[in-house]
Amino acid sequence: MSTLDVVLQQIVNGLALGMMYALLALGFTMVYGIIELINFSHFSVFMTGTFVGLVVLNLMGVTAGGRSLTGLPLIGTLAVLFVVTMAVTGVLGVLIERVCLRSLRNVPGSAPMITTIGVAFILINAMLLTWGPQTQRFPQLLPNWRWALGAAEITFKQVVLFVVGLVLMLALSHLVKRTTLGKTMRATAQDADAARMMGIDVDRVIVLTFFLGSALAGAGSLFFGLYYGFTGYYIGYTTGLRAFTSAVLGGIGSIPGAVVGGLFIGLTQSLGGQLLGVKWTDVIIFSILIVIMVFRPNGLLGARLPQKA
Amino acid sequence: MNRRTLVIGIAVVALVGMFASLPSGVTAQGKVVKIGFSLPLTGADADGADAILKGAQMAIAEINAKGGVKGYKLEAVVFDSATPAAGQYDPAQAATNYKKFVADTLVMAAVGPVMSGEGKAISPIMSEADMATITPSSTNPDITDPKFQSQYRPKGKAVYFRTVTTDAFQGPNMANYLFHSQKIKSVYVLDDGGAFGVGIADSFQKRAGELGVKILGRDRLDPKEADYKTILTKIKGLNPDALYYGGVMQAAAKLAPQSYEVMPKVIKAGSDGVYDLSWPKQSGKEAVDGWFCSQASPELVTSPKLEAWVSKFKSAMKRDPTNYAITSYNAVLVIADAVERTAASGKPLTRSALRDAIQATKLSSIQGPIAFDANGDILTRTVSIYQWRDGEIKYVSVAPEK
Repeated sequence: MSTLDVVLQQIVNGLALGMMYALLALGFTMVYGIIELINFSHFSVFMTGTFVGLVVLNLMGVTAGGRSLTGLPLIGTLAVLFVVTMAVTGVLGVLIERVCLRSLRNVPGSAPMITTIGVAFILINAMLLTWGPQTQRFPQLLPNWRWALGAAEITFKQVVLFVVGLVLMLALSHLVKRTTLGKTMRATAQDADAARMMGIDVDRVIVLTFFLGSALAGAGSLFFGLYYGFTGYYIGYTTGLRAFTSAVLGGIGSIPGAVVGGLFIGLTQSLGGQLLGVKWTDVIIFSILIVIMVFRPNGLLGARLPQKA
Repeated sequence: MNRRTLVIGIAVVALVGMFASLPSGVTAQGKVVKIGFSLPLTGADADGADAILKGAQMAIAEINAKGGVKGYKLEAVVFDSATPAAGQYDPAQAATNYKKFVADTLVMAAVGPVMSGEGKAISPIMSEADMATITPSSTNPDITDPKFQSQYRPKGKAVYFRTVTTDAFQGPNMANYLFHSQKIKSVYVLDDGGAFGVGIADSFQKRAGELGVKILGRDRLDPKEADYKTILTKIKGLNPDALYYGGVMQAAAKLAPQSYEVMPKVIKAGSDGVYDLSWPKQSGKEAVDGWFCSQASPELVTSPKLEAWVSKFKSAMKRDPTNYAITSYNAVLVIADAVERTAASGKPLTRSALRDAIQATKLSSIQGPIAFDANGDILTRTVSIYQWRDGEIKYVSVAPEK
């Protein structure tokens, strides 16, 4: 491989990696956009989603070492997998909101955010105790097609990741900006009391927001499992921290910002790893974050300041 | 008497009662010698630690079945050294465990630790207590190196004994093997950032360089990272003959499948950190196949001489043994032998006397002769090479020493 091919390959890798961060950041940033809560449990819901997916697949008789599926059985399996996993993680998100966050809704300051950190630890340890600490294999359902780009190559999984990320971004933007539900969400975000006076069921909107955000985390978790072929109780941490950084970088609360931030982080990670070495990855990423925060506190695409402190 | 004095009075009585019931030394308590075990029984390396603990437990059961040593029964005190936060061994937890051993007056010696990262944390604690620990698997040479005496054994005497050899041989001998037998001309070296991983990658890299193998680069994996494609793509671009990984399972579980995808044909080698029977289950059989790994001991599990031992272990412990289950079994035998010699000499059985007796060990065991140099390192320095084939670890040969 020539240097140019290696750089091209790193760009492909970086874009796919960035889309993975973006998938995670989307639900996170959406919840922030609606209720202005930094929900750290989002990344643990994502991690839990990989295990939910694993259980669903095992129940359907699909195991990591087994034969690969094709055609209709594959599509059917994927459909069931996504529907069930997203429903389960969605309900998990609703439960977290109902049990841990609703009673804190009018508490000022960082109490709700700290609570979400606590929820994250509960989920991490629950998965650790249930599944054990070792890496679990995730069945490879997607075909291993690859296409050459010179000496570099792009895989089918990378393409899927990329398309899904963009489609979800557009769908979410549309939902929040153009639908009635989105309008009620934004109204709730701006002033919950006024929204209530206009006849909006604020509780229902918040529950829906959590359901949607957590279902998105579930979808992200399945792409993680299908793309990397493994899961473990700790994956929500490093990946989640990068996704959080992506959301902040893109402008927290901004849906296109999550994707832009994710791609930026992904490319930084792969090109930085190529030029300097992967041991510097975190140094590079967080230095950039600090620089952006100093000079553009609202992130790359974030226009407005948080309305509630 | 008012209520307050009554409460204080009860408290004082309770305290006195507590002290009265404390054991007042081994001889008064009777005939028990406790051996401390601190191992990562949970976490990514749990399988290896489980085999090590069971090897030791088998030795203790056998000795006690024969009536103990000079009337002393052996008793294991077992603590987990892994934490959920680390997801693998945690040096701070190991230090806490060893402090508990020191605080328990009946613990006379310890077996462990499993990992060198733990060893660096606990060796000074043992030095202060003048108590010996015998590791069946930790191979970082710094811990016993006299150069670092002030750091790891401030009191001077060796307290960190090993029934395996060190990475001063394990890393370089793998380099020798890859150079002589696999004819590699270039290599890229990775480590996982742990004390063991960095150390063995350093020693491998140094020896490979001496042999004239071109070192294409060196980088560090974050064990909690999911995506190693960046570094693997970079390595592929350098077109190496081989990839060497110094480290343990958490990163290896992801390195194997991803390197299989990016560069299936490159020769890949690790150390005893990836001699882990659960690897194919964690990473997939086809991804693990072809990987070389090593052991800082002679090959024992498949040795015809140990057939009886292996089948006994399998039936008693309901799992397959590893070589380090055997070095752990022998670590207990070394302690038992030292207890016997100390008791026979008529000296009181103290930690210090036991340490001196362990230092003077001359034992012929199922792994061969066991004797230690003045630093605690075993005198037999055999390193064995293995390869994963079809989901199983196959013994290849003894690694060349030059």
